[in-house]
Amino acid sequence: MSSSTIKDTGALFQIAEPTGPQAAPRAPGRGVGIDLGTTNSLVAIAPQGAAPRVLRDERGWGLVPSVVSYVGDRVVVGADALAQQGAHPDRVVSSVKRFMGRGVGDIDFTHPYRLQGEGGVLRLDVGAEDRPRPVSPVEVSAEVLRVLRARAEAELGGPVDGAVITVPAYFDDAQRQATRDAGRIAGLKVYRLLAEPTAAALAYGLDRGEHGLFAVYDLGGGTFDVSVLRLHDGVFQVLATGGDSALGGDDFDRALARHLLGLAGKAEASAREVDAARVAARALKERLSVVDAAGITVDALGLRDAQVTRAELEALIEPLAQRTIRACRAALKDAGVRATELDGVVLVGGSTRVPRIRQLVEQTFGRPPLTDIDPDEVVAHGAAIQADILSGSERPGVTLLDVVPLSLGLETMGGIVEKIIPRNATIPISARQVFTNYSEQQTGMVMHVLQGERELARDNRSLARFELKGIPRLPPSMARVEVTFQLDADALLTVTARELMTGVKQSVEVKPTHGLSAEEVDRLVIESLDHAAADYDARGVAEARVELGRVVLAIRQALAEVGHIESLLNRGDRMGIDSGLSEADAVMADPNADAAALSRARERLERISEPFAARRMQRALSAGMTGKSLEEIEAALAAEGLDARRGGHTAELIAPEDEHGE
Amino acid sequence: MTDADYFGLLGQDRRWDIDRAALERSYLERSQATHPDGFVGQDSATQRAAMERSSALNSAYRTLRDPVLRAEYLVKLGGVDLDSSDPRTGAPKPGQEFLLEMIDLRERLADGDVPAVRGEIEARADRALDAAIAALGRGEVADAARELVARRYFQRFLDEVDAIEERHP
Repeated sequence: MSSSTIKDTGALFQIAEPTGPQAAPRAPGRGVGIDLGTTNSLVAIAPQGAAPRVLRDERGWGLVPSVVSYVGDRVVVGADALAQQGAHPDRVVSSVKRFMGRGVGDIDFTHPYRLQGEGGVLRLDVGAEDRPRPVSPVEVSAEVLRVLRARAEAELGGPVDGAVITVPAYFDDAQRQATRDAGRIAGLKVYRLLAEPTAAALAYGLDRGEHGLFAVYDLGGGTFDVSVLRLHDGVFQVLATGGDSALGGDDFDRALARHLLGLAGKAEASAREVDAARVAARALKERLSVVDAAGITVDALGLRDAQVTRAELEALIEPLAQRTIRACRAALKDAGVRATELDGVVLVGGSTRVPRIRQLVEQTFGRPPLTDIDPDEVVAHGAAIQADILSGSERPGVTLLDVVPLSLGLETMGGIVEKIIPRNATIPISARQVFTNYSEQQTGMVMHVLQGERELARDNRSLARFELKGIPRLPPSMARVEVTFQLDADALLTVTARELMTGVKQSVEVKPTHGLSAEEVDRLVIESLDHAAADYDARGVAEARVELGRVVLAIRQALAEVGHIESLLNRGDRMGIDSGLSEADAVMADPNADAAALSRARERLERISEPFAARRMQRALSAGMTGKSLEEIEAALAAEGLDARRGGHTAELIAPEDEHGE
Repeated sequence: MTDADYFGLLGQDRRWDIDRAALERSYLERSQATHPDGFVGQDSATQRAAMERSSALNSAYRTLRDPVLRAEYLVKLGGVDLDSSDPRTGAPKPGQEFLLEMIDLRERLADGDVPAVRGEIEARADRALDAAIAALGRGEVADAARELVARRYFQRFLDEVDAIEERHP
């Protein structure tokens, strides 16, 4: 069994009270969809029924590498973090999704990080050698989410109301809980955790008729999922799901990297060499998706012009690919669906670009897969649609009936698992089971909550342990304890135990053995709120600066064009404007100027230059606009005014049009 | 408990022979009305109520769509809980003869006669279910319970055969 701790559940026999926020007014159109991926993450919106679109940065990139650098004073996320990885492989965190909800003992893959927290919460030490800085995977993910939230807020021009965050369908309770915690720490109200294949099906299904059976094959950087779904009269019903939450394109890279290290004759490679091989392998894999053979040079390994063919790559990944196909067959069987009955197969995830994968999927399902929505973006599209619905938009919504991917149960005598909720049960769902005492001396009962398909407790994931105390002394089998498992629509579990003779009740929010405690999450949330205030200030300053710059520029232009005309600008006004301009220049030059100072300078400048502006307007009216109707003049002026305002600070916030939009 | 039972929840008559298409339709319609996603933003009591209604609906659907679970549930409504070991209201104990037969089958399995044993057990599991359904039709709950207990033994046996074949394909 993996290491686990006995959780103190606090007061005994608490009556479970409904918790959570009271009614919160919704904000239609202010929900965002987030695909928090192993390799890359995205944010998309579909406000008020609009077609979904991925939000891009100024370079037009929608994908944010899920990489967080702790090298400098400031945490850096994305492509800039990725650039620092070569020099600091242990302080720049990538593929952190593989660590979510896991303990140190569960980490059976190679990685360059310094792990801490044997038996408890896993943390990565990302500090410099003399200054340890442990961070949990949840906090690292929250950094990525924060960047996506900021991108969305810039686009929406205000706060995000809430988010739908996607998770691999095969994520267990601990991994889902960790993802939800990351959302909260990033300051997001998490409307819903949505299974990635379900999100993809939603993106496809909405514009494709009312009925049908779909399979979704989702091979991402670090996870593999397959789901079989039925779309029927506005209800999306997941019939079965399967997969492997530790299998993805990263494993292809690793297999190829081992091959490269072999070619370089490096039997004992250093962490840096392994990393160099992995980076080279990823690029090589992508090239071999297009060409049949490629040369490769990796200076760090002393490898020059080695040849690798696509056939070699395919041989390396074949065992991994076959694992995904076995999972597909199992999911079809669980769904009670034959491949020939399907109306479509959807490919999701960047790793489905590998030709051998496409070929195997086509063989297995007997039809060419659908790929018309970019496989990197389709999940975010679906999440954005669901987020729009949950934000309260008037959008013809579909109801999503998702399933729990893995069975939930309790350990009983002899280390055997008693399943309480079977896998592929539609959520939310609850189930009860009655347990009895084995002797009169027994006044407590230890509950060990497990998730997985294996018969023995030690082969399944240990989610939590707690003890029910205060069972009355009764002859064997007479004390009866009823245990209720409640799974909510996010597939998160609450366990309640009740002694039936006395009716005493005890409720536990199942906190994964390797998860952050509720207190830790709360502390991090509060810290992020402090952050949020700082973030908000920073945005206010930036906006005030842009506004002032716009006014200064407009006045300088007017001065250059017509400033010499005495009738428009007399000497006194000119001096006033000049002094206002130099004050503005001084404030702009001060990097520490706050928003209030910048705004004060702008207002002063606008006031001083107002007569000059009014006279220019008058002149324009009498000169350029003769013969036009009053309405036309007013319309022209209004448009001009709008343009001027827009030119100032909104333009750079509008992302380029989504070329994949419908 | 007419309204609260699974048949009532899904608007079906309480019998084994239900209209599968009607069941599916009713489940999808009711799910649309009760799914918690329709109540986001409302107060926590309302959200909780939606989750509980949805949970009950999903449990009902899971039970009624499955021919075996549906039969077992009807037996439970008739007063016999196959998941309980209570001597009065729990699962009836199989007779001596039946247990000896199971031991015999197990020996044949150990001798390596896997496909033949599997075929025989599958047929007997099906026959037990048919007999249970017929007994339910006659209103004889105790007979139905006995057949369903036998079917569970056969099913466990088949699961073991599956496990053996997975280890030695």
